Formats: sequence, structure tokens, C-alpha cells
Amino acid sequence: MTAIEIRDLAKSFGSVKAVDGVSFTVEAGSVTGYLGPNGAGKTTTLRCLLGLVTPDSGEALVDGRRYVTLPQPVTEVGAVLEATSFHPGRTALDHLRILCAAAGLPDERASESLAMVGLADVADKRVGGFSLGMRQRLALSSALLGRPKIFILDEPANGLDPAGIEWLRGFLRHLAHDQGAAVLVSSHVLAEVEQTVDNVVIIAKGRLVRQGSLAELTTNGDSAIRIRASDAATLAPALEAAGAAVERVEDGLLRVRGMDATSVGQIALDQRVVLTEVTQERSDLQKVFLELTGER
Amino acid sequence: MIGLVKAEVRKLFTTRLWWIMLLVMLVLIGVNLTFITAFAGVTNEAGGGAALPARDTAEWVQTAWSSGSGGSIFVMILGVVMITSEYRYQTVTGTFLTTPRRRRVIAAKLITGALVGLLFAVVALVVVAAVVIPATLLSGGELSLSESRIPQVSLGILVSTSLYGLFGIGLGALVRNQIAGIVGAVVWAYVIESIFTAIPVLHPVGKWLPGGAAQALMSIDVDTGLGRPEWLPAWGGALVLIGYGLLFAVVASATTVRRDIT
Ligand SMILES: Nc1ncnc2c1ncn2[C@@H]1O[C@H](COP(=O)(O)OP(=O)(O)OP(=O)(O)O)[C@@H](O)[C@H]1O
Ligand SMILES: [Mg+2]
Repeated sequence: MTAIEIRDLAKSFGSVKAVDGVSFTVEAGSVTGYLGPNGAGKTTTLRCLLGLVTPDSGEALVDGRRYVTLPQPVTEVGAVLEATSFHPGRTALDHLRILCAAAGLPDERASESLAMVGLADVADKRVGGFSLGMRQRLALSSALLGRPKIFILDEPANGLDPAGIEWLRGFLRHLAHDQGAAVLVSSHVLAEVEQTVDNVVIIAKGRLVRQGSLAELTTNGDSAIRIRASDAATLAPALEAAGAAVERVEDGLLRVRGMDATSVGQIALDQRVVLTEVTQERSDLQKVFLELTGER
Repeated sequence: MIGLVKAEVRKLFTTRLWWIMLLVMLVLIGVNLTFITAFAGVTNEAGGGAALPARDTAEWVQTAWSSGSGGSIFVMILGVVMITSEYRYQTVTGTFLTTPRRRRVIAAKLITGALVGLLFAVVALVVVAAVVIPATLLSGGELSLSESRIPQVSLGILVSTSLYGLFGIGLGALVRNQIAGIVGAVVWAYVIESIFTAIPVLHPVGKWLPGGAAQALMSIDVDTGLGRPEWLPAWGGALVLIGYGLLFAVVASATTVRRDIT
């Protein structure tokens, strides 16, 4: 069964159409990146999915049902939301034990889950003294309490240091690929999730812009290589003779399509031409994303 | 539901506010009792009657015993905080993710609020008993349960203190802002209610307020010098209090169930 299904979802706050007719699905065993610039409507979509916000129209289902109708939601869905926060005066362990009691789970799950995210040492420390990264880990451990098979994570990499991000990537891949979980993870930074996700859904201004597998969106035939060469006039015909499409951009600068960098380098060597720059042009996915976020 | 109540109890007892409130309540009741004990039977300068009955009378026991109701406001504040801290620290997201049926969360909070009220009332009564019983016996008074109405006053304190927990939760759900909720509770209890229950002309309104109804339930029948108040009958006070409790429960539930948590 489809783990997560969003169908024609729409939600307005006053005159702002936060989410405007979005549809996509997430299957078990895969990680889906939900990408979009700030204010795109990612958090709103996820909150609709989790029954915290009531959509104006459309449906958001987990395992084919609305979240609010699940009898034991934390055993099916683990969620980390952006604005998830903690009482600063409470210890990490107490925070989780409260959730265990409410969910009817055994108390041992609290310390087990803390250990899974590497917070066992600070279990008895007040959350008020935690760094942002520690809070993210604590939020993640609360999502693990019920050992769910669906994960919905809103910007979980926020506040993590490079080592933390690397750890998170491995953790999400492990959940999806080894444990067969369905993972939906939002981010406004493509690079953060690029190495983790199998599928990508991009939204902007509440509307779906593009979706597909990462492979589909990144390896499209006409991604080009930019080359700066000492003797472009010699190199260009040689490349063309080998089957590449060459565009002469300016003096000494070529744009080569239909050939990979290794072959280009080999031909340059054969022609005794020095390459001073070789750049793989940004993939389609990155282009789309950067256009949307205006970060070009 | 037991799990949810357990979760609410843990929420309360894993933060510090509850014992601060308990401590302040004990101090307040202590001050009150000291005053009532010290000035018992003291006649004023003008040579009029004593403002407080003497320590060996059943009336004094009744008056002193009723100071055990001093915990209400603190229980009400705890009730306010049980709701507003969820919004203030955004723990409400986790709460509703775990229990998306929000009415159940509210019900658990109401039950917990009432239980905490009961706990505070019991502590208050123990302290009151520890002071009042020796004081009256040492002054040569007799402890007559029926004349001093100890059982009835105690019951009134137990019931009204727990209901103030519900009032606090209702108020908290209504305003959602912690400071506003606490200020509202204090103004309500110390300003509005005391005006309406202390000034005789306002009694026709005051007797219908939770404070007046609580007094009726305790059937305090002592002339404070401002004229004998006309409370509702005890059962009427009980009904009014329960009515308020239900009202606040409905308010808490209605204001929470459909609200978007963003
Ligand atoms: N409670 C609210 N009241 C009014 N407007 C809101 C509310 N919540 C969200 N919005 C608006 O809806 C739009 C989408 O917001 P949302 O938080 O879903 O974006 P996002 O993609 O999560 O952004 P970010 O990357 O910054 O987290 C924004 O324009 C935002 O201002
Ligand atoms: Mg967001």
C-alpha cells in the first residue's frame, strides 16, 4: 500500500494560499525529499498530513487513512516538525516518558530511543541546556518511540553540524533501505538531502513544480561540460569528430554535450591541448531548484 | 485514558511549578492562620465586639478551618499553566501527534486538574487541622464536629479546590497566553470575586460566582462585621460549582478541538 498519499491538497491562511492543489505519493522503502524555498508550503503540507492543520480541500493519508483516525498513531508514523519544542525545565528522558505514557508504550522505549540518536549520556539533563542539534536529535528520538514504518520529518537537518548531517543521512537511508520504512523529509537546501533521497518533490508558492526519481531529474541527456583549453581551435574539431556536439561560447571556452569528462580529457591529451578548466554544468534538478530559490 | 492522565501527571510533576505553588499556598495559609489565631477574641479599641470569635468557640474553629480554601487560586494557576505551557513551549504539537483525538487530551487534563486540586486541598486541610485542633483544645474549647461543621467545610474545600483546577484549564484554553491566563486568574480570584463576595450589596451577584458558591457549599455562617452574607443553600452552591466546572470543560474542549496548530 502507498505509505503516504497527498491528493489535491489545499490550505489557505486568510488570503495566503499556503498549499494549492498538491498531489504526490511516498512508497515504503524509499526516501522522498520534499523541497522548496522558504514559505513554499512544505510545513503546511506536513501538518495537514499529521492532522494538526485541517485542509480546506483534498486529502492527506497515511497507510490509506487520515492520521487523526489512527488508533495508535505513534506506532505507525514518526514525525519531527519544525516547531516541535520542549519544556526547557524538563529532562530529555522525562519528555519521552510523557509521550510513552500518552501512547501506552512501555517506559523503556524512552531510554532506548535516546540511545538510538546518541543522547543516552544527557538523558537526565534539562532540555533548556541543549544545543539546537541535540534538540533535533531528541525530536528524532521521539519519532522513534513507537518503532513506526513511516517517517515524516520537517527540516530535520536544521541546526546539525556536518557530522550530524552525515549521521542523519546514514540514519534515514538505513530506515528506508534496510528497514523498509517510508521517509518523507523536507528541506529548503537541496544539497542537504541530495545524497540521501531516492525521489524528489519540489514545490514553490504552494504549487507542485516537479517530481520524480532523483535519477530521472539529475541524469538528463543534455547536461553539458564547460571546457577552457589552451588551443580550443584544435580541440573543438577533434571533439566533433569523436561525436560530441560542441558550442563555441567565447574565445577558448567550449560547451560540450554528448560526451563525458573522461573522454574529453583523453581527446585533449591526444591533441596535446592543455585543459585549464573542466566544469560539469549543474544538473537540471539543481537548475530548477536554484531558479525557484533565486540563489543562482 | 489512564495513560493520558498519567502523561498529564508526569507533565506537571516533571517541572518545578507545582511545588512552588504548593509552597506559596502553605505560606499563605500559614499567615492566615497565624492572624486568625493571634487575633481571636481580641476586642477592638472602640470597645465594640471582637472582630474574630474567641479560640474556644465553634465559630472560631469554623472560621479558621475555612482558611484551608486558600489553595484554590494556586490550583487555578496550575490549571492555566497545564494548557498555556503547551502553547508557550509548543509541546502541544507532540501532544496532539501522540493523541490526535484532542477531546481525549482535554478530558485527561481536566481529570488531572481536579486530582491536583484534591491533592492541594488535602495538604491544606492537614495543615489547618494541625494548627486549629491544638489551638482550640489548648484554649479550653471543645471540638464538636457538628457545631464547628468541620466535615462540611472540609468537603466544600475539597470540591471547590478541585473545581478551580477545571476553571484554570478552561481559562487557559480560552486565552492560550500564559501571562494573560495567570493574570486573569489572579484578578478573578482576588479582585472580582472578593469584591462580589465581601460587599453585602453585591451578594445577589456574588453568590452565583464560583467563590460565592464555594462559600455556600462550606456554609460558612459567621458575621464578618459587614453583615451576614446570604449564600445559596449548600446543595445550590454545589450545583453552581459543578455547572461552572462543566462550562469550563466545554469551553476548553470547544476552543481546542478544531484549531490549526501551526
Ligand atoms: N498560521 C499561519 N497563519 C498565516 N499564514 C501562515 C501560517 N502558517 C503558514 N503561513 C503561510 O503559509 C505559507 C507557507 O508556509 P510554510 O510554513 O508551509 O512554508 P515552508 O515551506 O515550510 O517554509 P520554510 O522553508 O520557511 O519552513 C507562507 O506564506 C506562510 O506565511
Ligand atoms: Mg517549514
